[in-house]
Amino acid sequence: MAAVKYIPREKLPEWLKALAAQSRVLVPVEEGGSVVFRQYDPARAPVFGSDATAPPKGAVFPACQELFSYAYGKEGEDNAPTLKLDPKTEAQPTVVFGSKPCGARGFLIFDRVYMGKKFPDPYYIAAREATVFVTMACATVENTCFCHWVGSGPADAAGSDVLLTPVEGGYTVEAVSEKGAKFLDNPALTDGAAKAAEAEAVKKASRDALGEAPDIASSPAALLSLFDDMEFWRDQSDKCVSCGACTYLCPTCYCFSITDEGTGTAGRRMRSWDACMHFQFTLEASGHNPRPTKAHRLKNRVGHKFSYYPTLHDGLIACCGCGRCVKSCPVSVDIREIVQNAVAKAKG
Amino acid sequence: MSRLDALKTRIKEALPGLECVIGWQKGYDALHNTPLFIRGEADVDKLEWGALNVHNPAVYLPSFAGKKVGVVVKGCDSRSVVELLQEKLIDRDNVVIFSAGCDGVVDIAKVRAKLAAAGLNAGNAEKVAVDGKTVTVTAAGKAVSMPMAEVAADKCLRCQFPNAVLADAFVGDPAPQVQAAPAADADLAALDAMSVPERMAFWRYHMDRCIRCYACRNACPMCVCRDHCIAQSREPHWLSQEDSVTEKLMFQVVHAMHLAGRCTECGECQRACPMDIPVLALKKHLNRTIHDLFDYQAGVDVAAIPPLLQFKLEEDNIKERSW
Amino acid sequence: MPVLTGKELRIVGFLCNWCSYGGADTAGVGRFNQPTDLRIIRVPCSGRIDPLFIAKTLINGADGVLVSGCHPRDCHYAEGNFYARRRLEVLKRFLPILGIDPARFDYTWVSASEGQRWQKVVTVFTEQIHALGPATRHENVSPELLAKVASAIQGGNRVAA
Ligand code: SF4
Ligand code: SF4
Ligand code: SF4
Ligand code: SF4
Ligand code: SF4
Repeated sequence: MAAVKYIPREKLPEWLKALAAQSRVLVPVEEGGSVVFRQYDPARAPVFGSDATAPPKGAVFPACQELFSYAYGKEGEDNAPTLKLDPKTEAQPTVVFGSKPCGARGFLIFDRVYMGKKFPDPYYIAAREATVFVTMACATVENTCFCHWVGSGPADAAGSDVLLTPVEGGYTVEAVSEKGAKFLDNPALTDGAAKAAEAEAVKKASRDALGEAPDIASSPAALLSLFDDMEFWRDQSDKCVSCGACTYLCPTCYCFSITDEGTGTAGRRMRSWDACMHFQFTLEASGHNPRPTKAHRLKNRVGHKFSYYPTLHDGLIACCGCGRCVKSCPVSVDIREIVQNAVAKAKG
Repeated sequence: MSRLDALKTRIKEALPGLECVIGWQKGYDALHNTPLFIRGEADVDKLEWGALNVHNPAVYLPSFAGKKVGVVVKGCDSRSVVELLQEKLIDRDNVVIFSAGCDGVVDIAKVRAKLAAAGLNAGNAEKVAVDGKTVTVTAAGKAVSMPMAEVAADKCLRCQFPNAVLADAFVGDPAPQVQAAPAADADLAALDAMSVPERMAFWRYHMDRCIRCYACRNACPMCVCRDHCIAQSREPHWLSQEDSVTEKLMFQVVHAMHLAGRCTECGECQRACPMDIPVLALKKHLNRTIHDLFDYQAGVDVAAIPPLLQFKLEEDNIKERSW
Repeated sequence: MPVLTGKELRIVGFLCNWCSYGGADTAGVGRFNQPTDLRIIRVPCSGRIDPLFIAKTLINGADGVLVSGCHPRDCHYAEGNFYARRRLEVLKRFLPILGIDPARFDYTWVSASEGQRWQKVVTVFTEQIHALGPATRHENVSPELLAKVASAIQGGNRVAA
């Protein structure tokens, strides 16, 4: 691992401009009271302090993406039907700058699904490989943060390429991947050995601020054992209004839907975010719906993250503990509470 | 007896005959209350009454069709219940309405902005104290006091019905009517002052960050189509999956038009929006039009017919164009 | 088209089957001179016109929308146009808040025998839309205007800055 570097706060724009000259750079900015990732614009100051309302999920997995365009036609004297397909897999080189660790860690959960051997997803792979995460460790934590419950933490570099840590006057900069190491080649960055100890102290302080995590190791088995306990799920989901805020803002929710949008003989195949909290998600063509109520759907959201996914993927919990689903839910449904209730209930 | 204690007493009495009673309890931190579903006597003591009861529990009522439930309401929430009754979306015999005088609720987004101005993060809130006209929030060890008038929900600043318009059990003293209400709604005044092209830019700016979660729709007590909303149906194909401003704004137009003459301006659509999009402004504007044209307000009279479900042979305020 | 020089614009007409569509036909049979920008969609009744048809048409970039039905008290279905009148008036007043010029939309009544009235309505409305010029879509707001409006709202979620 390369040595620690340092960049003073006032030099950040210089570094960002250099990066923006080579690729699309996405930074968190304030927009109408929310914090969202937008293309870097020197006239708009990025906000690095608090957690972005929407994580940088769209950088690699856009809310809507054209997979290919198609056109039916006819050819030759016998008017043989033709079909022209124009796939759009190429991805723009991108730097996501200033996401919190939880925003970048989400892609670890994606990777196992879309970069696996069985069904590699060329669109995802192209975008993932073209994207570099320059992540910022958290100097403060919020009431909704629980990254320490799920094997992560406020200075977790998993899923990131470069890790910045806020220190007095600026940031320390560490490369955490080979991809990231190349990004440290900028005159704005100086040697940071003198700041390394301070950075470690910042990381430790925010980790300590989170306190101790409850033991949820039994959650996969506990949730499975409650699969048919619909009274339990009714009680957990009573207040849920079945929207998509929790899933669309979740850095690890990777579900999508595919639609052909066309007129006449030509059109486009689009992939867009979908969410298990919507009734339509499991609605079958016959009209039957295996998840007819919000209780069934919330069970899936929690079960997927804390039971079914870890069971398939070496115990990796499909939640990075960012707390967005808690904070952004219109009725404050708290996934931590549900997991703990499940663990307690299964213990009997 | 405090309003809260009186409510608890009445709820305990009625609970045996009810599927559940919907109210509020403390949430995940000091700044957030959350809806409560009282199913047993032990739950009653979790009930809260006060400025953090921001949610409108009427939204849950249609989902209990055929079952008898209780609901605790603020004045504004009671209008949603009345509107649901007006439209026969719920059955009067199946709902028991509990209420007390309301002194207003906070707008969490305003509190968040106040804390940010003091260099604090609402995500660190530790304690909230509401005392008459002041809200004091302690975050990261620092206490910040804010006048209720500056952090109250807009609707409370102009509230005409702090006491439920319909209740089976109204406890305690009625709350006083808002005096000196601001003459015009600030949001509408701001939009009125813009040129038409500026308003187009305004919606272009805001709708761009919409994530199409439909929290605005699902938190709306009058959006009863829910799972069968035309926003998500493919047949008819009103909206495409494309995440363009056009498609996102079109949904807001669908919501607003479907609420024309039905919206009680409870503000849930905007409060629920995780992306802070001021979608309520569209409904406020529409409500003003409905009021100007038909002298009508939704959710105050169970017997009233919504204005777009009736007509007059000669309309009083519609001047048709002569060519 | 002597009155209209330059390109045609996209104007969509929603006409009821019983009166206005007949009126347009009468105008055609009578060979009345009319501008040709209007594309007509025939509907059973003005009461069948969901205001969202019009909103969607305009939001998606049509330059104008014209609705015409039977005169009040003449509706084939007795009262469809009375309901329509309320809905259409509400919509017309709603458009400006969205950033759409309300002059891009009008509604009126033309009977099957009123070929001449139809000619007048189409001509006047088409001129009105040409005076406004091609419509801008929300997607195509100029960066300058967007920046101006954005700078007034950076920050809070309130409309009022
Ligand atoms: S489930 Fe909730 S806390 Fe976990 S990653 Fe998703 S949004 Fe964050
Ligand atoms: S948990 Fe909250 S955010 Fe998620 S669907 Fe339910 S109400 Fe919406
Ligand atoms: S609008 Fe009126 S009844 Fe509703 S919360 Fe505000 S003060 Fe209470
Ligand atoms: S709640 Fe907000 S983000 Fe979600 S669909 Fe509605 S306007 Fe869009
Ligand atoms: S549209 Fe908004 S303000 Fe109107 S009733 Fe629905 S949630 Fe309340």
